[in-house]
Amino acid sequence: MLARARQVTVAGLLGALCCAWAAWPLSTGLQTGLLVLAALCVAADLVRLAMPTAAFTDVNIFSSPAVRLARLWFDLLKQLPLAEGAALAGLILEVAHPSRPWHTALLGAALLCYLLATHLAESHAPLRALRPLLPALAAGLGLLVLGTGAALLPAAAPGLGAGLLRVLAAIAAIAAGLLALPL
Amino acid sequence: MTGPGAAAGEAIRAAPGPDGNAPGPLALAAAARASLTGPVVRPRELTPRWGLAAHTRRLLTLGLAGLMIAVITRRAEFAGLAGPALLLLVAHRRDRPGRIGATATAGAARVFEGEPLAVEVVVTGQRGYDVELVLHPHESVESATAPVLAQDGRAVLTVTVSRWGRRTAGVCEITLRDRWRLNEGRAVLTLPRVDCYPAPAQQRTTVLLSRLPNRLGEHPARTAGEGVEFGGVREYVPGDRQRRINWPATTRRGGRLQVNTFAAERSQDVLLLVDASCDVGDRGATSLDLALRGAVATAKAYLRVSDRVGIISYQWGVRWLAPGHGDRHFFRIAETILAGPPARSQHYGLERLPRAALPPGALVLVYSPLLDQRFVETLRDLRERGHQMIVIDVLNTEPAGGKGSLGRLGRSFWRMEQEAIRFSLHELGIGVVHWDGVASLDLPLAPCTRRPLTARPHARIR
Repeated sequence: MLARARQVTVAGLLGALCCAWAAWPLSTGLQTGLLVLAALCVAADLVRLAMPTAAFTDVNIFSSPAVRLARLWFDLLKQLPLAEGAALAGLILEVAHPSRPWHTALLGAALLCYLLATHLAESHAPLRALRPLLPALAAGLGLLVLGTGAALLPAAAPGLGAGLLRVLAAIAAIAAGLLALPL
Repeated sequence: MTGPGAAAGEAIRAAPGPDGNAPGPLALAAAARASLTGPVVRPRELTPRWGLAAHTRRLLTLGLAGLMIAVITRRAEFAGLAGPALLLLVAHRRDRPGRIGATATAGAARVFEGEPLAVEVVVTGQRGYDVELVLHPHESVESATAPVLAQDGRAVLTVTVSRWGRRTAGVCEITLRDRWRLNEGRAVLTLPRVDCYPAPAQQRTTVLLSRLPNRLGEHPARTAGEGVEFGGVREYVPGDRQRRINWPATTRRGGRLQVNTFAAERSQDVLLLVDASCDVGDRGATSLDLALRGAVATAKAYLRVSDRVGIISYQWGVRWLAPGHGDRHFFRIAETILAGPPARSQHYGLERLPRAALPPGALVLVYSPLLDQRFVETLRDLRERGHQMIVIDVLNTEPAGGKGSLGRLGRSFWRMEQEAIRFSLHELGIGVVHWDGVASLDLPLAPCTRRPLTARPHARIR
């Protein structure tokens, strides 16, 4: 019970950290709206994770309207892609800011940790369940560092070669994404 | 080769896999089943419905969104951000099992209300996927609904059937997940049917008729016989056993030999008449629940003392079981209770029970809320035919009605009507006792168990 509470707390804290990190510094109304949306998603996901699996199982047509409403709300929470919403809102918040590669890299690492923590909390799995993923995680973090480093390099001079390079990079990125698609 | 291992081998050989050589999931399930000792349950082949796990969807969202933003905004750091999520997705497996075998075996085919029942679920052909089981119990079946991880595809789930009846325990949702929890397949397995008998109430004492049929049993009768209960002393006649000579009595009577006599031991026929035509009261303690629990307790109490017990279930039709004795007969009675009445039929004159169901001279114990006028007429008819009866009234509720004066008036009329029914039965010589379903049945039956019930051949009909 304590371990589960710890997992849920960690997931919530990581979610909050991601939102705050992506939003910092707040400048426009749109960013504030996105921050509120992200925070709502994280909070609702936290509630979903904290609720026991067997909650509201004995609700029937004779239960009180409040209990039935709570059941409906809980079912809705289980259906909505809340963690995805929080991650997307965080990314859009980050895009809204001018380029800051190391900041983005740290956001990426935090978002990944948030998603993994959410996964552990909802599957009741211990932290050691992630051990087989360590090589893939290490390689992924390497990619993250490479991407950040590439972003830190001065932009190539405009011209045919630079354009071609960009097109090739885009094709490579899309191919990598397609390869990773679980179809 | 003999034993469970041989049975498992035969099961595998009997059901080859789709390719004709390797054993399929069904064969593996049959083999696993063959090594068990519980009631046989047919193995089923299920087709899981596959989809992306929630974790996969999240990683995919992060990866694709990062890539898209990188391409649109030309910011390479977002491509780097997408990298770890996409790399984690590479571990995704594509060798999903198309079909799995599943067997559910109940630890017992019959339970009493409130008894825990273990159900073993065996899943085969999952190809190294983790198996998680979630039980969705049916009505009146209680169980922990937390997911259970099946080790080697095998897990034991415990359910408690809270109300009598014949029903399946529920359905088991089988979720298959790969090692990284990226793939998720779901299938549903129906759990085996369970016969749940009413939990017997407490009853130790028995009502005894004064005239018992001439059949060997355990009740001391008024006639002399070969029992163990002392009956009296009489003068010796040639042929009497010497060990029965009562020497003190012989001395007192001037030397004329006196012998002890003993009461004969007889058994009686007991007929349980259960009125299932009405079912009122709180769920779990309705009049029918109480009637059946009482009937089961009575059957146990009388069968324990070697009496013959039969049962008549009265609803829109009549189903009966002729009196019998022994432990096996107890289960026949329970089965009759679960079977309920026959299909709706207009052929029965319900005010008159069939003669075949009523052995002469039987003690009739009636469990009824006495709400159905036809049933009351049936009792009158039974009494006219000379049967000794005791009605155990299992009505413990009143009509809700309103709280106003009209509601109170209605309830008063209803109570008076009920009292009138009970009074009329009492006037016919039918004992009516009330049982609340909580206390022991010995308590309401105490006035009838103190001395043998005098058999009156015919009732006073006014």
